[in-house]
Amino acid sequence: MKRKMLSMILAVSVGAMALCGCGSGGDAAKTDAPAEDAGDDAAADAGDDAAADAGDSGEDSGAAVADVSSEGEHELSVYAWDANFNIPALKAAEKAFQAKDPDFKLNIVEQSGSQDVEQAVTLAASSGDYGALPDIVLFQDHYIQKFVADYPDAWQDLEGADINWDDFGEEKLSYSTIGGKHYGAPVDNGTAIFAYRTDILEQCGYTIDDVTGITWDRWLEIAREVKDKTGMALLSMDHSGDDLPYMLMQAEGQSQWKDNTTPDLVGNETFKKVLEVIVQGAKDGTIILANSWSEYTDQTIMGDQVAGVMNGNWIIPTIEQVSDNSGKWALTTIPTLDGSNQGYASNGGSSLYITGNCDKPDLAKDFLAYTFGGGEGSKDTYDAALKDGGVITCCLSAGTSDVYKEGVDFFDGQAIYSDIVEMGGSVPVVQQSDFHYNLRTLVGNAITNTVNGANLDDEIKAAQEQIEFEIAGSQN
Amino acid sequence: MKEKKPSTVRHKQEVAGWLFLLLGTVLIIIFQFWPMISAFLTSFKTGSAANMKFADPIVFNYSRMMKDKLFVTSLKNTFLYLIVQVPIMLLVALLLAHLLNNKDLKFRGVFRTCVFLPCSISLVSYSLIFKSLFATQGLINSILMKLHLISDNINWLGTTSTARMVIIIALIWRWTGYNMVFYLAGMQNIEYSLYEAARIDGADGWKTFWHITVPLLKPVIIMTVILSINGTLQLFDESVNLTGGGPAGTTQTMSHYIYNNAFGTGVANFGYASAMSFVVFIMVAILAVINLKVGDTRD
Repeated sequence: MKRKMLSMILAVSVGAMALCGCGSGGDAAKTDAPAEDAGDDAAADAGDDAAADAGDSGEDSGAAVADVSSEGEHELSVYAWDANFNIPALKAAEKAFQAKDPDFKLNIVEQSGSQDVEQAVTLAASSGDYGALPDIVLFQDHYIQKFVADYPDAWQDLEGADINWDDFGEEKLSYSTIGGKHYGAPVDNGTAIFAYRTDILEQCGYTIDDVTGITWDRWLEIAREVKDKTGMALLSMDHSGDDLPYMLMQAEGQSQWKDNTTPDLVGNETFKKVLEVIVQGAKDGTIILANSWSEYTDQTIMGDQVAGVMNGNWIIPTIEQVSDNSGKWALTTIPTLDGSNQGYASNGGSSLYITGNCDKPDLAKDFLAYTFGGGEGSKDTYDAALKDGGVITCCLSAGTSDVYKEGVDFFDGQAIYSDIVEMGGSVPVVQQSDFHYNLRTLVGNAITNTVNGANLDDEIKAAQEQIEFEIAGSQN
Repeated sequence: MKEKKPSTVRHKQEVAGWLFLLLGTVLIIIFQFWPMISAFLTSFKTGSAANMKFADPIVFNYSRMMKDKLFVTSLKNTFLYLIVQVPIMLLVALLLAHLLNNKDLKFRGVFRTCVFLPCSISLVSYSLIFKSLFATQGLINSILMKLHLISDNINWLGTTSTARMVIIIALIWRWTGYNMVFYLAGMQNIEYSLYEAARIDGADGWKTFWHITVPLLKPVIIMTVILSINGTLQLFDESVNLTGGGPAGTTQTMSHYIYNNAFGTGVANFGYASAMSFVVFIMVAILAVINLKVGDTRD
């Protein structure tokens, strides 16, 4: 009997050890994660690039942990990700600021994805030691409200920085303004675009104007016609992180939230109609709901399965991967339910935040104001960021430079960058929530189930109940 | 005085022994036991990571678990994998081991290596490979299309039943060889004369397998069952990388859901995640005990 007890204890302890091992398994998976997130700028690259980034990260992050410090008086450290997008923008800013402070050095610590930065913040906060954070961090806008609410000591606001806030789109600032204080220096612009293949539309007898400012019902008709004549769908989305409901609601000027923690799903007619559009499109085969991010980018967009792409403008580099289609694309706004207005929305986009660990807040504020904040160096910063990384500003004055006004051959000479900056000014401010990503998953599930035959009203009710349950769980 | 001398030497030896043990003991307490206790305490807390406080009522995280539809779904998914995959995998492993244990088989080293090889592949890599194989425009669909077995691409990972099937196939592919190695090792300890004697008595291959190999391998089989149950209940990489838990959360495992609550969606509900981890821990312990009780005929 004694031996039996011993073997039982051993078996249980083996189980316990393996359970602890679970944590390290999580880390391994994490490096691959950025390619999965639809709202993630890192993923705006082609799948190949993202994979290469993830591969690199093993070495990078090892060095990164040791070197978040900024020793010199003219040195700042920053966490950022994506060597093809955000990093060139930061390098451009470093160079621009050296005009003011020749000794200035920006220590850019590359991460494999936005999620790594967000998790670094969460981990630093839960260990109670912000010393592990660099002076400045870059991450996606949807997180900052929750981060400031949960970890107020982890941040330093930008009050007193020489930034002309009127020069930025109101919607962009609504994320990072908390309690009337500005926390973030906006980097890229998440304004949503709807790009169409004009050659495919032409085959069906339509032009880009015929799909601008239309109703979703009309859009579904056109999409069916395109599908019948060419076999191509007119829209696709990564359904594992489905941003369509959010963008479509924002284009209506509405939200899935009444306030930060009160979901507004059951009885919300607009929300139901938006879901009906997506479900109808999926059933018709005119909207492809891809299973993963790589399927969305590599197969639906780069594999020429769709004649239309709607997402944050960071999706443009993905569209441009297919050089054969150069000159065949055009950008416009999003359809709406009643068609009386053009739809403007935003998705993704990130900002720079000064952490509580920064002991040179004045230098950091100066740097951000001078470069990304619309100061003297902003034109140089944003022009180089656009050329080297394709980062589009949400600083309205910087968006009027000559570089921005240049026509882009891929879009048949359309001056897409200045168009996007202008569209960004019209994006309506809608109610945000700390539980954005939780709800996104639940609404995505509701769409899947409805497409598979479930009743939409029941699914909306189930989503509302589950999100209320989750909110109650983290607020007790 | 004289009597004390040997005890001093002994005493010294004991102290030295404890000193040697001390370092390991301290390390294991700091890095193994303290985190477990700390996680147990966390499981009674709620709130964001920076300022967690004890929940009211204290069992709040535990009591809400069964009301959580997503957790219940992930629980059902995990047990589905367990019930379907573990028996198939262990049976296949046992049969393969039996075949490859045949002394007359040529190139058995090569075959053994081939069966074991999948285990040397990282969990993330093989999940991603399966994901691309079974993608809507993937290799499997192309082959089936070329053979005219299907007329439209099958959305393997976007349909609940097929997505679960793909995960189970992937798991069997990855882990069968791993278990086979245990069985092979166990079979080395079975006297070959037993088989010879059985053959003389007129037992065929099937009979020797069931009446000699299986009973004598019982301790090894019990160990592999425990390891497999343990591994399946903590299944994570496949759910995250292969299907992302989709479609609509119907392939999500418990560990994946725990991870999502702690890190995945920015909510950082560490209390609830810890509570769920302990429930998984208790499940593993209960299943292991049942296994030992059922399997052990000694005493």
